[in-house]
Amino acid sequence: MNERIKGLYQEHILKKSKDETFKGVLQNETHRLEAYNPMCGDKYTISMSIENDVIQDARFDGFGCAISKASTALLTEIVIGKSVEEIKPIVENFLELVDEHGKREPEEIFEDDQLLAFAAAREFPERKTCASLSWDELKLLVDTH
Amino acid sequence: MNIASIKSQFPIFKQQTPLGKELVYLDTASSAQKPQSVIDAISGFYSGYYANTGRGSYWPAHKATTTFESVREKVARYINVQSKDQVVFTSGTTDSINKLVNAHVIHSLESGDQVLVSEMEHHANLVPWQEACKLKEANIKAIPINEEGEIDFEALELLLKAKTAFVSITAISNVLGTVNDVSRITALAHKAGAKVFVDAAQAIAHKTVDVKTWKADFLAFSAHKLYGPTGVGILYMADDLVNQIKPLSFGGGMITEVGIEESGYRKGPQRHEAGTQNIAGVIGLGAAIDFVDTLPEFELHNHLNELTSLAYELLSEIQGVNILGPEERAGVISFTVEGIHPHDLSTFFNEQGVCIRAGHHCAQPLMNKYKVPATARVSFGIYNSKEDVMTFIKVLKETKAFFE
Repeated sequence: MNERIKGLYQEHILKKSKDETFKGVLQNETHRLEAYNPMCGDKYTISMSIENDVIQDARFDGFGCAISKASTALLTEIVIGKSVEEIKPIVENFLELVDEHGKREPEEIFEDDQLLAFAAAREFPERKTCASLSWDELKLLVDTH
Repeated sequence: MNIASIKSQFPIFKQQTPLGKELVYLDTASSAQKPQSVIDAISGFYSGYYANTGRGSYWPAHKATTTFESVREKVARYINVQSKDQVVFTSGTTDSINKLVNAHVIHSLESGDQVLVSEMEHHANLVPWQEACKLKEANIKAIPINEEGEIDFEALELLLKAKTAFVSITAISNVLGTVNDVSRITALAHKAGAKVFVDAAQAIAHKTVDVKTWKADFLAFSAHKLYGPTGVGILYMADDLVNQIKPLSFGGGMITEVGIEESGYRKGPQRHEAGTQNIAGVIGLGAAIDFVDTLPEFELHNHLNELTSLAYELLSEIQGVNILGPEERAGVISFTVEGIHPHDLSTFFNEQGVCIRAGHHCAQPLMNKYKVPATARVSFGIYNSKEDVMTFIKVLKETKAFFE
């Protein structure tokens, strides 16, 4: 793992995996994502309220490794206040970021360090599903909304 | 026993990992590495005398058939059964259980019968029985285990008061390393009129499988956990069950006479082996048994026990580490580290060339019992050394420091 990405991993992923700011379930939930990896047992639900194609609020709950927890927490934080149309390219970019076969360099995809940290997943292809677990579910939602 | 010389027989250890580290393989409970002799036996068959078995009357076919059949004898001797004709080749433990359930269990189970498994079973020795019970409206129940991860025999005796058709139990737990008292279980089960299936997947590499003493009715193992190839294993059946139960599969090679509406089936293990067999796999299994035969039983046990005890002791000294299961165990240690998910652990171990396993180890009911979603697991093979244990402990301490 390149030193910079390793640094980002330590700084952002570990920190984010302990960040419970958006943990919970919404009372006025309209949509719910269920992200589950039967191979390892990681399991999250993301509770969202979507009105007029805008995600008004979101919360996540569940358990898993540091990478999946951090990526789910970050996803929740990012979608709040954005429209489904705005989220689409972010999801595509994130899935490219964590893909070892991604065409662009990580730095060409995102500038934000919190997101860039997940490029570490390119170094561990077997951990890609940890990073993308919740994002794959989000992609299904925005593609079919 | 000279571990360095044994390890040198395993070609995988001659190279470094892509990150330039020595390979420390601590996942033998999942699958064992292969010695050169096994690899050579397989390629020797393909390049030297390849042909289908039991069919042709030309020389490679003859040699292939004799070599293939000689492995049946080796297996019979290795697991101590009466006759080689009680050994049926399958594609592995999982396949053996599924075939047994489909060919025999679902035909002999009656509505309301009970099937007992234990709380420590691998999914392979649980899900097929579950399906059979659903189909026949039978009841599947779990024999509880105590805090130390050992079978609760009082509970077993109570459970056996209900009409029980089958008891299915692992000889060694793939998560806890618990060594079950199989003879005691079969004695109780037989007294209650139940047949016993023994999952010997983990036990097979420990040279402790002894069907005659255990009095198992059925037993299965896979070659790949015995330093042999993947995709091959066996199902043992006691007495004359090989000829009594329905064939495990149907097709070429298992028939006597075939008509459009009726067919007759052979006697012996060939009755269950339809179609072209995994010949190379079986020959590889024979070479694996030959390899294990070169290891003195006492020293093999001592070596694996020493590594397990050392790892157990050093792990117990690390703050925040919680070990699942009993102190007395066979070659497997599952543990959790406070604040670090097992998958994060295994990624950091991988960076240092150390292969450990993370996950539910195909034993979700057991994970639920211990209230953990997953654990990390190390397990030892004949090629592991004390240095491997020390490397493992060193990397664990470094990883803990990284996460703190």
